[in-house]
Amino acid sequence: MTEVKVRVLAGGEHYALPVTFVKEIAELGELSPVPGAPSQVLGLRNLRGQVLPVVGLAEVLGLDGAESERVVVVEDDGRQLALALQAVVEVEKLSGEVEEVDSPYLEGAVLVDGALVGLVDVPAVFESLIPDAATPSAPLEAA
Amino acid sequence: MTAIDPEVLQLAREEAEERIASIEKALLAVEGGSADDDAVNGLFRDAHSIKSAAGMLGWKDAAAVAHLMEDIFDDCRSGEIAIGDQIDELLQSLDSLKGAVPGGAGEAAPAPQTNGHAPPEPAVASASSSQSIRVPAPKIDRMLDAVGETVLHQRRLEHLLADEEAGDAADETEEELDRGGLLMSELHDSVIGMRTLPLSSITAPFPRAVRDLAAAEGKDVALEITGEETQLDRVILEGLSEMINHLIRNAIAHGIETPEEREAAGKPEQGRIDLHAEQREGMVAIELLDDGRGVSADVLSRVHEGSSLTEMLATPGFSTAAEVSGVAGRGVGVDAVKDHVEALGGSLEIQSEPGKGMRVIMLLPLTLALLRLLMCRRGSQIFGLPLTSVREVVKAADRVSLGGRQSLQLHGEAVPLEDLATALGGAAAELPDDAPAMVVASGGRSVAIQCDAVIGDQEVVVKSLGPLFAGVPGYLGASIQGDGRVALIVDPNHLVRRPNPVRQTMPVAAGESAPEARRVLVVDDQFTVRELQRSILETAGYRVCTARNGREALKELTRNDVEAVLTDAEMPEMNGFELLTAIRADPDHESLPVVMVTALASEEDRKRGAEAGADAYIVKEEYDQHALLDVIERLVGR
Repeated sequence: MTEVKVRVLAGGEHYALPVTFVKEIAELGELSPVPGAPSQVLGLRNLRGQVLPVVGLAEVLGLDGAESERVVVVEDDGRQLALALQAVVEVEKLSGEVEEVDSPYLEGAVLVDGALVGLVDVPAVFESLIPDAATPSAPLEAA
Repeated sequence: MTAIDPEVLQLAREEAEERIASIEKALLAVEGGSADDDAVNGLFRDAHSIKSAAGMLGWKDAAAVAHLMEDIFDDCRSGEIAIGDQIDELLQSLDSLKGAVPGGAGEAAPAPQTNGHAPPEPAVASASSSQSIRVPAPKIDRMLDAVGETVLHQRRLEHLLADEEAGDAADETEEELDRGGLLMSELHDSVIGMRTLPLSSITAPFPRAVRDLAAAEGKDVALEITGEETQLDRVILEGLSEMINHLIRNAIAHGIETPEEREAAGKPEQGRIDLHAEQREGMVAIELLDDGRGVSADVLSRVHEGSSLTEMLATPGFSTAAEVSGVAGRGVGVDAVKDHVEALGGSLEIQSEPGKGMRVIMLLPLTLALLRLLMCRRGSQIFGLPLTSVREVVKAADRVSLGGRQSLQLHGEAVPLEDLATALGGAAAELPDDAPAMVVASGGRSVAIQCDAVIGDQEVVVKSLGPLFAGVPGYLGASIQGDGRVALIVDPNHLVRRPNPVRQTMPVAAGESAPEARRVLVVDDQFTVRELQRSILETAGYRVCTARNGREALKELTRNDVEAVLTDAEMPEMNGFELLTAIRADPDHESLPVVMVTALASEEDRKRGAEAGADAYIVKEEYDQHALLDVIERLVGR
């Protein structure tokens, strides 16, 4: 495997996001929490006039959350969200043997400088957050 | 055959549909006696054009039907047959033509989509005049975003200016800002205008519908439409067509009498339905009048004080027809229409005079893109409520408590009182007793919602929260404040519908802790199962801790206060039955509710579980999220 990835730090561990999904990297910014939302959703953030949901990468992966300071805006299939994480480490070509990992949100892991880097499955993160086939409101009964 | 460019196909489809609509309109005009002498020529030209295009595109069935119609029109043109005698047959042929246009809105029974993709949205019918334009909605939304941002830019400037000492230069800047403000509101209005379409874009099918429904009921009904040029938001128009259709059905089935009955009542034999639209006080009023029997004096007399005819008719199951006819269902309709209109931020009113008819008035907002909100603060966060839903703001002083629930005495009635934070499933520092309350009314119900402070009203651009929040109830969207922060727009329907708080996961303000939610321990050796159950339970407002087997689960029980255990049966190290036995043996946990989940549907296992003291048993294959939550809720005693 050789692919350009954005390597990030979340919950004290290293993860990599395929650069093709990454739209933008920004400060965490001011968040407005959404009462009633799943716990992975940290809140909403205004990014130049766009309202983006901010989702904790550590919370999605079930790690002990460390303070997030940055967001990486990811896009898949027209949907966008901002992943909150501790820091962006590097944009680099990652290559190496992909090891299997037992997590629905990781495609696997590669060894970089003796440390494991989890390969984040961005579409799977979206799927896990979006309730299955959002039921549209019942149409008016035409009798 | 080479593939045809999809855009060309789409255009051909739209043209065919427009011509079909034009044929239908002309045929009905012929039937009603209002057609001019040239009508037959126009009909022939339309049928001919459809035939030619269908032939080129390989729509064999459509071409054949159009050819047949063309022949009939040709015979009518030459005077061989009278068109007036052919209307029924021609309308039927037209229906088959509608169904024969591939991918068209009228195409018969499309193959069910199984891949999870929604079927393509039907194209919004547009007026065929050369001055009309088709603009894809996303483009307009993008433009609206850009404009909204410019508006924010101005607000930021105002903020900056307010901070500065006022001087001569500041005066000039202020003047410039005024000019900029005017310019931007103009720009804004023009973009909003692009989101709108005239009512005529949806009225085309109504005359035909009235004709067919009246015929089916043995009645004679004329439909008159006025104010068709009134502009409405595209999104509102989409649902409006269905609502008007329903009201028309109701009017024909329940309102308008048979010709004999009408004659006996001294009315003209032909009944009338009037559809009228106009702008009224920044809203759009859509009225549907019929001159039928109206509601009976008996029904009117049952409308008691403090209530209204609208509310009574919108009671689910209420029907004005003594017998349920084939056309309109029993009472469904008025309540559905009312809900729909209110969800769009509008209101519904029904007036009736016995024997004279009925008037249904829908007041709808001009656009969904802009909303007037009443802004308030709860904790450190700003929320907005649609201004149309707020009746009044009061000091929550005159309160009573009944069965642990608080309510306010208002105008001689008890209105439930709730903290905004609790209503949304969050938490914030306790409110002072005299905190202001906004009286929110929706769907005929009211609730007084308390907050820290009411800030005032504001017109905002509504931003969608997106698919991520589709499962989170309670919000209409978000808006961006002058200081750049995001304010949530609360759905008044959600506030009045929630009898008691169930959801809780997020503190309203950072740094303030939420009240303790009940904790459930999930035990399973498979990560995906654990995560699935975790997400179901967390979404329902529980806190969740997990363990991979019985041994870990026992450790977790010593660390955390757990109110229920959900455990798999088969696990390594210590399985579910062994865990259950260990729990029951511990005096601290002997009455702790335990739910067993297993892939095995065997009677043997069920028995084993029951003997070990399981409180409930869920089989994986039969498992659905509601069953799981029901069981947990029952055991935890929510």
